[in-house]
Amino acid sequence: MADIVLQEALRSVSLSEQMRLVAGLRWRLLRNKMRQKNNRMDLIGMVFAGILGAVLVLGLCFAFYAGAREFVSRGRTDWLALLFWGIFVWWQLFPFFVAGFGTSFEFRALLRFPLSRRAFYLIGLAYGMADFSALAAVCWLAAMTIAACAVEPGLLPTMLLVCGVFVLLNVTLERLIGSWLERLLARRRTRELFFALFIIAMVSMQFLTPLLERYRHTAAPIISRSQPYLAPFPGSLAGIAVADAAKHSFGGALAAVAGLLAYVVALSALLWQRFAAQYRGEELSETSSPVHRVVARTGPHSERADGLRFLPAQVAEMLRKEFRYLLRNGFSFVLLVLPPMMILIFTMQSGGRHRHSVSTMGFSRSAFFPGMMGYLILVLMSPAYNCFAYEGRGIQTYFMSPVRFREVFLGKNLMLACVIAVEITLSIVVFSFRVGLPGTPVVIATLVAIVFTVAGQFAIANWSSLTFPRRLNFGQMRGQRQSGMAVLVAFGAQIMLGGISALLFFVGRWTGNAWLPTEAFVFLAAAAIGGYVASLNPVSDYAEKKKETLIEALCR
Amino acid sequence: MTDAAIITEKLVRRFGGLTAVDNVDLHVAAGQFFGFLGPNGAGKSTTIKMLTGLSVPSAGRMTLLGIDFAAHPVEVKRQIGVVPEGMGLFERLTGAEYLQFVGRMYGLDQTTTRRRSEELLDFMQLADRPKTMVADYSHGMQKKLALAAAVIHGPRILFLDEPFEGVDALAAGALKALLGRMTERGVTIFLTSHVLEIVERLCTHVAIINKGRLVAQGSLEELRAGIPGEEGTHKTLEQIFLSIVGHDGGDRPQLEELSWLT
Repeated sequence: MADIVLQEALRSVSLSEQMRLVAGLRWRLLRNKMRQKNNRMDLIGMVFAGILGAVLVLGLCFAFYAGAREFVSRGRTDWLALLFWGIFVWWQLFPFFVAGFGTSFEFRALLRFPLSRRAFYLIGLAYGMADFSALAAVCWLAAMTIAACAVEPGLLPTMLLVCGVFVLLNVTLERLIGSWLERLLARRRTRELFFALFIIAMVSMQFLTPLLERYRHTAAPIISRSQPYLAPFPGSLAGIAVADAAKHSFGGALAAVAGLLAYVVALSALLWQRFAAQYRGEELSETSSPVHRVVARTGPHSERADGLRFLPAQVAEMLRKEFRYLLRNGFSFVLLVLPPMMILIFTMQSGGRHRHSVSTMGFSRSAFFPGMMGYLILVLMSPAYNCFAYEGRGIQTYFMSPVRFREVFLGKNLMLACVIAVEITLSIVVFSFRVGLPGTPVVIATLVAIVFTVAGQFAIANWSSLTFPRRLNFGQMRGQRQSGMAVLVAFGAQIMLGGISALLFFVGRWTGNAWLPTEAFVFLAAAAIGGYVASLNPVSDYAEKKKETLIEALCR
Repeated sequence: MTDAAIITEKLVRRFGGLTAVDNVDLHVAAGQFFGFLGPNGAGKSTTIKMLTGLSVPSAGRMTLLGIDFAAHPVEVKRQIGVVPEGMGLFERLTGAEYLQFVGRMYGLDQTTTRRRSEELLDFMQLADRPKTMVADYSHGMQKKLALAAAVIHGPRILFLDEPFEGVDALAAGALKALLGRMTERGVTIFLTSHVLEIVERLCTHVAIINKGRLVAQGSLEELRAGIPGEEGTHKTLEQIFLSIVGHDGGDRPQLEELSWLT
């Protein structure tokens, strides 16, 4: 009887109604998110991003229009393949760059509702069509169609057919890649590895300009030779279909469209399989399954071996913990590769090895060296301004333990100081190999200036870490933003200390006294170290006052 | 007269206009297994946070083992162990590394820390995953690790916020036995749990907080005696709890409103 009462209100929901409900849900989520933010700056940011996005899409619409018109009017319709390839690459890569990190289960969350498998599949595709990359690509395809038909109206049916199949192919492939990535990135280790590779790839792109300049003449023939091999792939197939239709070779055009359709069928089958696995309730668990392993006893610990016995036990333990965290945080670890890489990039862009000057940049080595080191300190010191970012709930351990925060800060600051020392040493080696070192007074003055700026910044950064804490997650890009105030404080401190350093270097050059900056920096470094040591106790007291804010911000 | 392990006097915690803990006077004797109960949002976790140094009282005084917390927080923390609400673990350390870290922060020497870590990991059945990071532990495993970290330095007072949540029955049984033996040795255990059967089985004394105010405190027998009912019938802790906290009918959901479901 109860079953009847419960069930009487239920009726089967049509596919169109389910899709309408999901569209409504997405709209409400967006609207509520904007209401919840209650932050004018975020809203302005969103409007600004929207305008930029619209400019990008419209600007490229003109480019695609002009390109397609030019190719068709010149009778080189086969070159349309280039435009199709551009759209294909954009459609598949852009979502990966903007949303590939951090898992999103929003779409899978719909599975709790009584959706049919067909509805689940179609809603999945609809989600794909609602992405920015898809909307932009459709606009560009429309621009190409208009341009081609403006020159040759007879191409309209072919363009519509090819573009329609091309859209279906792209959205299916993008969803397929997305669902595989979701499965892959559900595991923490894979996500972090992926994230590290992504950062390295992004930085490596800086090498493209010098490499292209060096190899552009040899690269062009290789690319043109490889074109026939691209013919069986989607971008080329779409181009071939239009080109053959323009030549009234409808058999060839149909064969190319059939090729595109074959892709659609094959990809749809694979996507159906993936979605079916999700529909059945595929488990994307973070935790490892229970397995029994042989107990491996930890050997005699390395306390004696790691040489930290000269430090107070609690500071030494903090240092060990920070070292482990550094090794296990892909992002921080990748940051360590950046400084020597930056030296390499900057010196490559300046024309390579020059013993007397860094030619194209117009700087002498005695200005370039401290400038580069200053820039590296700026990069390396930035994590110090939110040094609890990766502690998460572990922050409570510090407050529960019988330690003062001066020990915590000492451990953290010592670790970063060691990292900076190693990085600066590596960078100096790369610098001397690529450009050559400036005179001894400049090198020594720069090194003492580094001590001054680092010690000076630690005191400010510790205060900033307590005042503007922001939780960051390992191996995740989405939603990982530092506090705006912490960034401002870092910026202000670095401008101030960097400005003082630059001024002293300038005074040294102006007076012709090569050792004057060194003498001044020694005095300033001693003052900065004294100030840092004096700041530890007040900062420790301040931590006690700020503990609730800190715990709330990091344990969220 | 037993020595007091925990005394709070007029303890208050306000969040803006909301008074989460309102003039709470607790008295917990040394060696007691003390249950701290209350409905959701009653102020249990806020009280525990204040007693363990994770939160600052707005007013009032806390004395643990005869030491004024506000004046000597580090000395107090040396004597207590805590399993806080969020467990407070560093996710990027392995279980052994985390215990090593905590032991050293509490001032244990290296050899003792290592020996105790190994024993605790064995006891908690976590030793078969020496290289697994805490981030990859299940919820129950994290709970067991948090418990191990709370006792590694041999605390005289142990604060446990929902200690058995997510822990399997086998480990929970061993843990209860361990906690029982600790109280026999004079350790005071201050426990919160929503599972009243567990509290009834383990605790000798109970305090109940509701809407920030302490509404009952005493041994289970004292609380039973204070509840109206037929003489000679055994009243469970659930009945005691409901009769103290739940007689405010306005707060209880009315089943009649869900007639279509029942």
